[in-house]
Amino acid sequence: MVTTFATETSGLVSSGLDLELSFSQSLQGLGLSPQVAHLLWLPLPMLLVLTAAMVGVLVTVWLERKISAAVQQRIGPEYAGALGVLQPMADGLKLLVKEDVIPVRADGLLFTLGPVLVLVPVILSWLIVPFGQNLLISNVGIGIFLWISLSSIQPIGLLMSGYASNNKYSLLGGLRAAAQSISYEIPLALAVLAVVMMSNSLSTVDIVAQQNGAGLLSWNVWRQPVGFLIFWICALAECERLPFDLPEAEEELVAGYQTEYAGMKFALFYLGSYINLVLSSLLVAVLYLGGWGFPIPVEWLAGWLGQSVDAPLVQVITGSVGIVMTVLKAYLLVFLAILLRWTTPRVRIDQLLDLGWKFLLPIALGNLLITAALKLAFPVAFGG
Amino acid sequence: MFGFLKKVADYTRDAADAANYLIQGLAVTFDHLRRRPITVQYPYEKLIPSERYRGRIHYEFDKCIACEVCVRVCPINLPVVDWVMNKETKKKELRNYSIDFGVCIFCGNCVEYCPTNCLSMTEEYELAAYDRHSLNYDNVALGRLPTSVTTDPSVQPLRELAYLPKGVMDPHDVPANQPRAGQLPAEVLKSLSLQQDSPQGDKRESLQDAPDQDQPKG
Amino acid sequence: MTIATSTELICFLVLGAVVVLGSLGVVLLGNIVYSAFLLGGVFMAVAGLYLLLNASFVAAAQVLVYVGAVNVLILFAIMLVNKREDLKPIEGLPIRRLLSGGVCAGLFVLFFRVVITTPWAVPGPAAIGVGATERIGEHLFTDYLLPFELASVLLLMAMIGAIVLARRDVLEVDVGTGDAVNQGLIEKARTPLLVDKSTP
Repeated sequence: MVTTFATETSGLVSSGLDLELSFSQSLQGLGLSPQVAHLLWLPLPMLLVLTAAMVGVLVTVWLERKISAAVQQRIGPEYAGALGVLQPMADGLKLLVKEDVIPVRADGLLFTLGPVLVLVPVILSWLIVPFGQNLLISNVGIGIFLWISLSSIQPIGLLMSGYASNNKYSLLGGLRAAAQSISYEIPLALAVLAVVMMSNSLSTVDIVAQQNGAGLLSWNVWRQPVGFLIFWICALAECERLPFDLPEAEEELVAGYQTEYAGMKFALFYLGSYINLVLSSLLVAVLYLGGWGFPIPVEWLAGWLGQSVDAPLVQVITGSVGIVMTVLKAYLLVFLAILLRWTTPRVRIDQLLDLGWKFLLPIALGNLLITAALKLAFPVAFGG
Repeated sequence: MFGFLKKVADYTRDAADAANYLIQGLAVTFDHLRRRPITVQYPYEKLIPSERYRGRIHYEFDKCIACEVCVRVCPINLPVVDWVMNKETKKKELRNYSIDFGVCIFCGNCVEYCPTNCLSMTEEYELAAYDRHSLNYDNVALGRLPTSVTTDPSVQPLRELAYLPKGVMDPHDVPANQPRAGQLPAEVLKSLSLQQDSPQGDKRESLQDAPDQDQPKG
Repeated sequence: MTIATSTELICFLVLGAVVVLGSLGVVLLGNIVYSAFLLGGVFMAVAGLYLLLNASFVAAAQVLVYVGAVNVLILFAIMLVNKREDLKPIEGLPIRRLLSGGVCAGLFVLFFRVVITTPWAVPGPAAIGVGATERIGEHLFTDYLLPFELASVLLLMAMIGAIVLARRDVLEVDVGTGDAVNQGLIEKARTPLLVDKSTP
């Protein structure tokens, strides 16, 4: 988390803004040692990304309410702020001041630890989400693999809260959540592997940089359409979104592993699921939709306008365009997820496992093999 | 070998069909996105109930002859008619009348059969109460008239879709004097009497040509 | 001592303490569910130690495999067969415990001696860092190809064994009891995902 590895900047993309360098240089100008400057720099991007994640969740909750309402020809939240934008804040505030109930027969320690174990890995995964060439907390070498391994911690938290609640619905919900999570992780990882194979790197920055040679046309979605679909289906299943919301199927399991939770502990689950949704959408954008890339490369635009890519103003504009594009793509996918929620009915548990193991896994394996073959056959187009 | 290939083909077709249906479903939900909300902001806005709305029953004590027809036609014999026989006048003397709206299904049979028209349906539907026993209305409560939605100053009355002028979908800001689409029964009768003045041959044709014939007559 | 090294030392001490205390808890705690969850914690701490050694790929793999797969499966097994029954008291339990404690203490002394007497090459070879992923792949597919393939064959065998145990219909008699297997339990024929259009 601490070290920023040197980015293997491809020739196509400029080095972009390096805020850390300028920050530490200005601090060193004040007479601080480089180490202290680095230490002071460290919390800043973390706080920024944490804030971004929270704001992202608030926006997503508001969108979920408004789009759900629109799909059902309702108005949705209207009175809390203009167009109800403050409604998610009101929800959060309500959960914050609500009484924190721990059932008498529940296991208090595990009951408290469960939601934390669900939330922390998700927030930690934001570490690798790039909003620009240097706009991420840390360009760790193992990048996307870190996300896969972190997301595998989540089922433990779910099992823990399911077990600790001492409630049959909670336990069933927790078991279902864990089963779903580990079975959809495999096709997900295989789909990611195909992308990684094409870009020769696990780092998210390199994956995006490799997609931005020719703008829209060089995005991975054209080279990996099957992988894109597999990834999106698995991401929905990992986030427990409809049609895969079996762990909290209210008709069968009351609320699954969340049944006994109230107040802030419930809010942690709620927050976790929405952060996970935003994170998954961001990663789909990063892996398949060219991340921060504008449909027409910004370098070309700068060239046509006769501006140097390294000019400060151009750099600031490029950075802002990158952030806007990443967020825009991610929210497009969030919109799709919300629309899917009101379109598809919930699958049964056997259908879910059938889809995961008998459909997605073979197809993901086939996709991986075909990608490998294509990479050998056409190294130019498939990143040889 | 062939059977296996067929299985593969079937499976592929299944998957393709599933994807197709999914896209169709998404198109439906997406289409709903651009439709106007049908929300009525309830306590502040209320829909005007239709003419034959079967709401809470109104009862006029003075008209009642205590014949108990309402009790007989009621599916569950709900109205309670409390009367005594006056020996001197040899007439029934009504003391109390009550209907429990916690049990009533608003079928309207009593209103239909009442020989003196002392029962009638109102447009009141807000019958929420903290105690179900307070829904047992006596003759005084039954005799109260509900506040009409259109005269209540705290409520903005909204017309139902079928009562809006032709082509209008949004009930907000529609002037009250603007007529609904189609003709009212009275207007149909008026047009009929006008046609009776004209020669017989025209009548049938013009009747067929007349718009909105599906209106109930009378 | 710079900030970086002191941070590293503190992290090492904390992780080491978590590993030692956690594994003691796994062995000594009475509640098997606590033991399983603690095991997950120990695996995480070990991953943290790898991270300290600048082996991020190994750390992530440790989390993915041990926490995400092994520990979750252990928890699954515990929670699916969680019958609350008291085990029969075993004769001479204190003596057995004493004996096993003695064996463990002896092993600990042995290892401790080995650790102290071995001339460790400190500091070890420099960490590869980011290049580790490629190096691991190279080694897996050249020097260690045979063990790698053997491990995959072993996993395949285990998988087939699990299928045989789970699908009773492939066997005439039950593996465990030797009784004839009830053929009525055969898994239902696969129902198609969608309604078949050909049937009216």
